[in-house]
Order: sequence, then structure tokens, then C-alpha cells
Amino acid sequence: MTAAALFQSVLASLPEIVVITGACILLILGQFLRKGQEPFLVWASVAVVLIAAFVTLMLAGEVQRAYTGMFIADRFAVFFKFVFYLATVLTFLLSRRYAEIEGIGSSEYYVLLLLALSGMMIMASATDLLSVYVGVELMAICTYVLTGFLRREQRSNEAALKYVILGSVSTGIFLYGVSLVYGLTGTTQLDAMAAVVTGDPLDPGLLLAVVFIVAGLVFKVGAVPFHMWVPDVYEGAPTTITAFMSVGPKAAGFAVILRVFLNPLFATSNVWIIVAVIAVVTMALGSFVALVQDNFKRLLAYSSIAHAGFAIFGVVAGGTDGIASVMLYLLIYSFMNLGIFGIVIMMRNGDFSGEIIEDYAGFAKSRPGLALLMLLYLFSLAGIPPTAGFFAKFYVLVALVERGFVMLAVIAVLLSAVAAYFYIRIVMVIYMREPERAFDPALTPLVRATLAFTAVGTIGIGLFPAWFLRLAQHSVFGG
Amino acid sequence: MGFPLLSLIVFTPVAGAAVLMFLRRDDAVRWTALGVTILDLALCLAMLASFDTTTHEMQFIEKRPWVPALGITYALGIDGISALFVFLTALLGWICVLASWAAIDRKVKEFMVSLLVMQALMLGVFCALDLFLFYVFWEAMLIPMYLIIGVWGGEGRVYAAFKFFLYTLAGSLLFLIGIIVLYFHGGETFDILALTAQDLPFQVQSWLFFAFLIAFAVKVPMVPVHTWLPDAHVQAPTAGSIILAGVLLKMGAYGFLRFSLPMLPEASVHYSTLMLALSALAIVYGGLLALAQDDLKKLVAYSSISHMGFVTLGIFALNLRGLEGGILQMFNHGVTTGALFLFVGLIYERTHTRSMAEYGGLMKAAPVYTAFLALFVLSAMALPGTNSFVGELLVLSGGFAADLAAGATAVLGALLGAAYLLGMYRKVALGPASVGARFSIRDVNAREMAAILPLAVFVLWVGLYPKPFLDIIDASAKHLLMQVHAKGSGQ
Repeated sequence: MTAAALFQSVLASLPEIVVITGACILLILGQFLRKGQEPFLVWASVAVVLIAAFVTLMLAGEVQRAYTGMFIADRFAVFFKFVFYLATVLTFLLSRRYAEIEGIGSSEYYVLLLLALSGMMIMASATDLLSVYVGVELMAICTYVLTGFLRREQRSNEAALKYVILGSVSTGIFLYGVSLVYGLTGTTQLDAMAAVVTGDPLDPGLLLAVVFIVAGLVFKVGAVPFHMWVPDVYEGAPTTITAFMSVGPKAAGFAVILRVFLNPLFATSNVWIIVAVIAVVTMALGSFVALVQDNFKRLLAYSSIAHAGFAIFGVVAGGTDGIASVMLYLLIYSFMNLGIFGIVIMMRNGDFSGEIIEDYAGFAKSRPGLALLMLLYLFSLAGIPPTAGFFAKFYVLVALVERGFVMLAVIAVLLSAVAAYFYIRIVMVIYMREPERAFDPALTPLVRATLAFTAVGTIGIGLFPAWFLRLAQHSVFGG
Repeated sequence: MGFPLLSLIVFTPVAGAAVLMFLRRDDAVRWTALGVTILDLALCLAMLASFDTTTHEMQFIEKRPWVPALGITYALGIDGISALFVFLTALLGWICVLASWAAIDRKVKEFMVSLLVMQALMLGVFCALDLFLFYVFWEAMLIPMYLIIGVWGGEGRVYAAFKFFLYTLAGSLLFLIGIIVLYFHGGETFDILALTAQDLPFQVQSWLFFAFLIAFAVKVPMVPVHTWLPDAHVQAPTAGSIILAGVLLKMGAYGFLRFSLPMLPEASVHYSTLMLALSALAIVYGGLLALAQDDLKKLVAYSSISHMGFVTLGIFALNLRGLEGGILQMFNHGVTTGALFLFVGLIYERTHTRSMAEYGGLMKAAPVYTAFLALFVLSAMALPGTNSFVGELLVLSGGFAADLAAGATAVLGALLGAAYLLGMYRKVALGPASVGARFSIRDVNAREMAAILPLAVFVLWVGLYPKPFLDIIDASAKHLLMQVHAKGSGQ
């Protein structure tokens, strides 16, 4: 590698470097903080992300390949990075008070979130199965630790342990698939792989490799049959981390899935049948199991499984519209899901956990404004217009029908009718029950700002989707 | 593009709802809501005043790009068919506010906001000229309606609200897939007029016809997907029932008129016999169910199923008399059944019972009330001189021309209607005054009168001089029929 190429590579990956450097500086600074100076951590972390976002925007002009083809800075990556920035910044804002209440506001918390962010960014930019692996592991290890951050709570410990074990196994499977691919093609670079394999796409070795890679990646987005960890981890983890995981790492997983599955190598191997089956089963399981949940976080866990299933339908559709529909879906999902998690996080105050759905009975009576926001997020998650959630689903359906998958589209909408039931059940609890308790949400200005921002996104993208749609369509790789 | 009158009509209630959010006193909320709905009605009248009845073309067209990448536009416009329903919606709007004046005494602000948002969405449905826009309005209505039934309804409101929501949602989702399929078959546009001009293969038309049928049949509702209606009606507050019966049920029939017939003419002709049979079934079955009710609201709800059967019968008779009768009957049903629900609501506010067995001799306690009730009952029975007579006569004559058996069954249904309606009137108004002994019943007051009178005027106006109303419909109905037969009878 020449000095010029190295310089160019460093430049292309400057946002990642900014985030990692920022995380390291904060790690050191955090040791010198005195009590009562925690707000500094929040603002410093937000500043790091904003600088990274600024740098990303500066570099967003042209496609840059870096590190001898392991890394790419293209519009696709930029789009996903902004979804990650959004998720991370909002998580920071929501964490400030929550961390104080739960007693987890040490500098490590923020540093680990930043490092997870950098892992996700690497995933979005990776064009080599090995750099994918590096990103996935960086992200995953940080989230393992964050899941167990409530050290005194058994649930949290259990969740972290489960997550580590299952996560490691899935990464192992993924790596095994990568090694098979390397054995068959002599390369791990996505572009080069496709060029090498020109023969029979049904080569059993290749098929095995594909299945392993699919399994490893599908684990990260929590799709069936690798979804077992999701409810336990979502329930046990600190709620802010659950909010973060349901949006950030999931979007990162999809970024990789899109890059890998829509690579010519996989596109020719009939892998879409596997993916279609995964989509249907994932959505069905998420929707039906969510019907019987009493715990808000578990319900949102199954809801996130169902949403992952819907987004996978977009992967099945493929093509420009298919890819763009997944991207738009994830962006919109970030807004509405962080919104509803923002409410759950805010409710955690004093002895009130805010985790049981029944505890929200009559919420609309005492806090009509907040209840209205919940209503907005929930109907958006259910996909009722004019919210953004509807447009997200609509665009995926358009992509499906465009490719002739009408039956899949029908299955998708019928399952989303099932899913609508458990969202409107929560609306029922907050609007149609009499209050049994007084509510004292930890409504700090930061939480307020987060809720306002997500609400504007949820309704704004729903009413004026044109700009966001164009953005997603322009950000599709190769297009 | 001139003055955006339709946008103004559609979004005035939304603006009103936004204003309501900042009001604190319940009375201020009520008066503002009333003012907004009357303003909206005035705008509608202004629209009708300059409406050209000689053309079938869309009027007051507005068109702006919305999502250009997918060919979605924000397009509004009305023809003779939709004009009537825009007017009906605006007319019932302020009557709903009056009907909820005293009946809604908690969370008044939230209720009025839901009501106004609901009105905006309903107006939007009738004005939309873009299929995507139509669907957004159509589906968004679920949110305020769910709340209106679920929060302010009766004892079993939660169950009824869920049933309403899920039934309609499940029906509409297949409609959504149908829309997307139509989009790709029709040259990647959601423009309703452009899609109407397409010639689709019969196979595609058939599939789409059934996808649309499910959505519209649930809304109408046609037997056998009607079971949400009695629950929703009985549990909804009076204003909710008026909206449901007056406007929401019309949307299913409007869907047939706007989409199924002109876009899928071959399928519409091909399956018209099936539709006639389902309509006749609904007329008789709804009538029989109404005959067996003791609950006043349930009786009116089931009678709605029967009456909407007349509407679909007229539409799928596919001749001019049937079609015009069906459309007029939609308007009439909105006025008459809206009024009947209002009357049930008025008496329920006083006695808190809807069981007919507990009533009797109301005529002595509330003579004005019973006199007007008689008018609306007779109108629902289609007595000559009232609005429904004109509509049902046209429907029946169209129905007989299309299919003898369907026409004959419909007459039987009309007979049943007389039986349950007169029976209801006898039990409530005549006989010994049983209910008056237990409750002191006051007659209608000025506010209630203000809600009743305009409806009574329309009952008689349409009954005695229907020409202005038929004139509005005429050109559009003829054009619609021409579209159906030009393409539909090709096979």
C-alpha cells in the first residue's frame, strides 16, 4: 500500500476514526470526572457523533474504496451511518436521566455505545466478509457488555450471558461460512467472489456456505429461527440499551444482509427462497407471540421481530426498489421505535418500572399529551396512515408486487393485521381504562426533545415521504 | 388551477381541531366545534352553488405532486356522485356536534377533536382523485373512529371498538394489495381517472374485483361480513352512530361506484348476478334480524344492513334507474338513519334504556319527539312523499329490470321493513305510558330541534321534489353506466 492509497483510505474512513478516537478520549477523561459532572459525558458523546456526522456529510460526494477493497464509503453506507447516528444520539439523550435513576451513568456506558456505533459503521461500509466480521464483533461485544450493565439485576446478567453465548455461536457459524467461501473462491471480497464463481450456482459446497452466512447474519437482526435471544435480551437489558439495539444494530445487520445477499453470487443461488421463508416465518412468529405478552419490553421485542420480518420481505424483492424500501423502512422504524421506547424509558421513575402494559391503564387521563404521542407511535408501528409506518410498509409492498411476489405481499399484509391487534391493545389500555395510579414520568428536557423529534419524524415522513424516498432510492448501491 | 375550495373544505375541520387543542373550557370547545362544522357546511354550499350539473367531468380539480418517484399526487376533485356525499358529510357534521352537546360530558375536547378529524378524513375520501390519497384517508379514519367508539361508547365498547378496527383493517389490507397491483397494471400511476381509462385483462379484473369487494363489503356492510356493525353501532355514542350509519357505510358503496364499476367493468358485469344475490340476501336477512330485536339501536343497526342492501342492489342492477336510485338512496339513508340514531340517542339520554319493552306511550310525554319520530320512521319505510320512496322506487324498478328474483326479494324486504319499523313505533310511542311513570321525560329542546329540523327538511324535500338531487347525480351516473357497458359487455 502506497502512502497515497493509505492516506486516501484513512480519509474514506475518517468518520469511523473520529468515533473511535472520541471514544478513547472519553474513556480517559471519564476517569477524572467528579460526581455531578455526568452531563458532560452526554454532551461530549453527542458532540463526537455530531462531528462524525459532519465529516460523513463532507465526504459523501463520491464512492471511495479503501483498504484494498475491504471498505467502501458510498451513499449506501452514508445513509445507514445517518440512521446509526440518529439512533445513537437519541439513545444518549434518553440515557441521561435513566442512567442516573438506574445508577449506570459511568463513562464506560457512553464509551461502549460509541464503540458499538463504530462497529456498526464498519458493518455498513464493509465490502469484504472479514471486515464485516470485524464490524459485527466490535458492535456485538459492546452490546453484550451493555446488556449486562444492570449489575445487581439477575435479569440483566442472565440476558447478557445468554446473549454472549448465542452471539458467539452465531458468529462462529458465520466465520465457518466465510472460510467455506474462501475455500471455494479463494477470496472473501464480495465483488471478487462473484467474478470467480461462474459455474453451477447449486454447488453443494457453496450452498452450505451461503446457509452458514445467512444464519450468522440473520441472528443479528433477530429473525426466525435465530430469534430466541431477542425477547430475553430486550427484557433484561437496560431499556435505553434495548431501544438502541432494536434500532442501531438491527439496521447494521440489514446493511450487511443487503450488501451480501444482493451480491451477484447470492442472487444466482436461489437464496431468495430461503430468505422468503425466513421473512414469512419471522413475521408470523413475531406477530402471533406478541399477542400474549404482558411485558411492554417483551412485546416490543416480538414487535421488532415482526418488523424485521417485514423488512426482510424488502430484501426478497431486491432490485433498486427492494433495497430502497428496506432502507426507508429502517429509517422510519428508528423514529417510531425510539419514540415508543422513549416513553417506556421516561416512565421508569421511583418504584415504577413502566414495563407492565397494564400499568399504563388510564394514562391518557392524567397525561393526555404523552398519551397522544404513544398513540402516534403505536399506530405508526401498526402501519396505519397517515403515519410514516404506513408508508414504510407500503413501499415494501410496492417493491414486492413490482417483482411479481403478490402472494408474499398478501401474506405480509394479513400478518400485519394480526400485529395491529397488539398495538391497538396498548392504545386501549391507555385510553379506555380508568387510571389506577398516579403517573410521575421522568420528563426531562432531553427526553422531551427526543420525543418531539421522533414524533415529528413519525408524522412528517408519513405526510411528506417524497424527499426521504428519493434519498433512499439515490443511496442504493450500484444504482 | 383556481381557488383550492376542496382543500379548504377538507382541511377546515383539521384546522378547527388544532384550535380546539388550545381551548380549556368545555363550553368553548363545543361552540368552536359547532362553528367550525357550520363553516364547513357553508363552504360546501358555496361549492354546490357553483357546481355544474351538466357535465360528468371532475370539477374543482386540484393537483399537486406528492411523491413523484411513485407517481403519487395530491389530487382532489368531485363529480355528481361525490358532490352529494361531500354535502351529506358536511350536513351531518354539525348535527353530530349538536347530538353530543350534552351526551358527551367527559373528555369533551378529545371527543370533538376526534369528531372533526373524522369529518376531515371522510370529506377527503369523497374528494380524493388519487388512489393512494384515497387509501390514506380511508384507512386513517380507523384511528378517530376507534377512539370514538372505544373511549366514549357504552358498556361493551372495548370489544366493539376492537371488532370494528380489525374487521375494517383486514378488509382494507387486501384492497391495498389490489391498489398496488392496479398501479403496476395501469402504467404506474395512482391517478383514478387515468386508471379508469385502462383496459385490464379479465383475469386481472376478476382478482381485483374480489380484493376490492372484501374491503367495500365490510364497510357497506354486506352479509356475511356485517357482524361488526351491530356491535359498533350499539356501543358507539350517538354521534358515532350517526357518522357510522350516515357516512361510513356509504363509503363501501362509493368504492363500488368509483373503483369497481369504472375500473373493472367486465368483472362488474360478470359478477353482477352474485352481487345482486348478496344484496337481496342482505335486504331480507337484515330485515329479519331487525324484526327480532328488542334493543332500539340494534334494530336501527340491522335495518341499516337491509337498507344498504337496496343501495348495492341498485348499483349492480347496472341500469340507469337502479344506479341513480342507489346513489340517491345512499343520501336518503344517511339522512333518515342518521336521524333515527339521533332519536334513539335523545331518548336514551333521558331514560338510559334502549329496550323497547320498557317504553310505551311516549306520545303523551313527548308529543313533538314522537311526531318527528313518526316522520323518520315513515321515511325509513319508504312511504310516498318521503325521500326513501323515491330512492327505493327507482332501485326496485331498476332491480326488476335486471333480475326478476332479486327485485321480488327486495319487495319482500320492504315489507319486512314496514313490519319492524311500525312495530318499533307502536311499542315506543303508542299504548299506555309505562316509561313516563318512571322517568320524567321532557320533550325536545331548542338545541335538539336544531339538529332534527334540517334532516326533516331533507326527508320531505327529496320526497316531494327530488329533481335537484337527481340532477346533481344524473350526468355522472349516465357517464358511469356508459363506461361500464362500453367495456363491460364486450365479453
